[in-house]
Amino acid sequence: MDNLKIRLMKKTLIILFTLGVTQMAFAGGWVKSKGTGYYKLYQWWTVFDQHYTDQGLIDPNVTMGLYNTSLYAEHGLSDRITLQANIPLFSRNIMNNLVSSNTGNILAEGDALNSIGDIDLGFKYGFNQSKTPIAVTLMLGLPTGNELGGIMENLQTGDGEFNQILRFDISRSFQIKKLNTYFNAYSGFNNRSEGFSDEFRYGFELGSSFNKYSGNVKVFAVESLKNGDSTIGANSTSVFANNSEFSAVAIEGAYAVTDKFGLSLGFSYAFRGEIIAAAPSYSIGVFFDTSK
Amino acid sequence: MKYFILIISGTIFLASCVKDDFIDDRVDPVLRISNAPDTIAIDTLYQFQYTYRNNIGIEEEIDVNWSSSNDAIFSIDQNGLCTPQGIGSAYVKIDAVTNELVDSALVHIGNETVIPTTERTGSLNTTTFYTLEGDFVLREDGDNLILEFAENYEASSSLPGLYVYLTNNPNTTSGAYEIGAVSVFSGEHSYSISGVDINEYDYILYFCAPFNVKVGDGQFEN
Repeated sequence: MDNLKIRLMKKTLIILFTLGVTQMAFAGGWVKSKGTGYYKLYQWWTVFDQHYTDQGLIDPNVTMGLYNTSLYAEHGLSDRITLQANIPLFSRNIMNNLVSSNTGNILAEGDALNSIGDIDLGFKYGFNQSKTPIAVTLMLGLPTGNELGGIMENLQTGDGEFNQILRFDISRSFQIKKLNTYFNAYSGFNNRSEGFSDEFRYGFELGSSFNKYSGNVKVFAVESLKNGDSTIGANSTSVFANNSEFSAVAIEGAYAVTDKFGLSLGFSYAFRGEIIAAAPSYSIGVFFDTSK
Repeated sequence: MKYFILIISGTIFLASCVKDDFIDDRVDPVLRISNAPDTIAIDTLYQFQYTYRNNIGIEEEIDVNWSSSNDAIFSIDQNGLCTPQGIGSAYVKIDAVTNELVDSALVHIGNETVIPTTERTGSLNTTTFYTLEGDFVLREDGDNLILEFAENYEASSSLPGLYVYLTNNPNTTSGAYEIGAVSVFSGEHSYSISGVDINEYDYILYFCAPFNVKVGDGQFEN
């Protein structure tokens, strides 16, 4: 088995969706006040039996699933600097059995891998915290997951790559009748290691809250710079992971059960992509917000 | 709140079990005379053999009938043993007792036995949106086989874990012979294959191994 090829493919699929969640969570130009924080325990998952090809068309694949139970945290180290972390405490990657509909025999055995996932750890610095806050974030993707698991070594809960993301956010809050509303735009650069192409990222978010309810809609994208290490291809490994791209939409809603506790629901889907899963992802979580 | 978390966690835990994906791996059964000679020497007996593959491409033994189109040229018993009777040409025929499958071959009776050199050809076709095309030839090279792809061969390099197989069921790699990982994505190249009879498999199969997904195939045309 060509493990590097498998790793690249899996890396792409997992990373993109993980980043989808990350981008949802890390949005905004606001930073936390010193000593306050937002902490969320959430379950995120996607199950897909089709994917976008290198031409952006949809082809089937054996059903695969990725389930992450994660802790997300934003904690104000000062009034300017917020510590951010996304820790997949338990990550499960599965692949279904392939079974003959004629004989009922298993043609290819499925598999599952359980471990901790890749941890994102970063710092956000807020330049301006008025009605139009601006922030810059340095996010480090730590290769703490398992990049080569399962019997066939084709399952992953991490990518084995240390990447660094530098991101700028600018937001604007405003009022629409009784709705507290905000808009956020961001762009970022992901410097990837292990010979993978760097990425340009951008996204827009519109959110609003009313009484105990809040929600937001995001459109975000990753564009590959296609500048990966050419020796990867020369070593008979796939280069597509260096060129993967997607555009996605995400919707997230939250309900504040008490002043500090609440529930959140999320949905995300890549409506355009190359070499990524063509299936929605979902999240559900409970959060604790000490800034309120 | 805690009941909510328990219910959600339990539901997701159960949903994350490894389940079954079903594929239709049916193929048309095949009955074939597997060692038809060009010519049989008139003073020798010749043992014909057959191959039968069922509706999932697995080889099986079945009840068959052997017959000659002209008993004056050669006769054949129900075990496939051929006895030449005179110089000339006739068809040997095999038909399955339990179904309508038949096969036949023209056989000459002459002064010496001649086994034809076999060269099998075909063309690749993609079954996905990934590029896969090109002509191929399978030929004998001593005890080995050589699988050669022509200059018009092209395969997508975007696929992870792309492998090439010989198989009798192009829907699955189950029971297939793994030739190896694909490392050439365009132009002429070849693979050396050992321990395989040239008529043992009917398809070339390209498969994305990590995702158990068929990418394309090519059936031998002869």
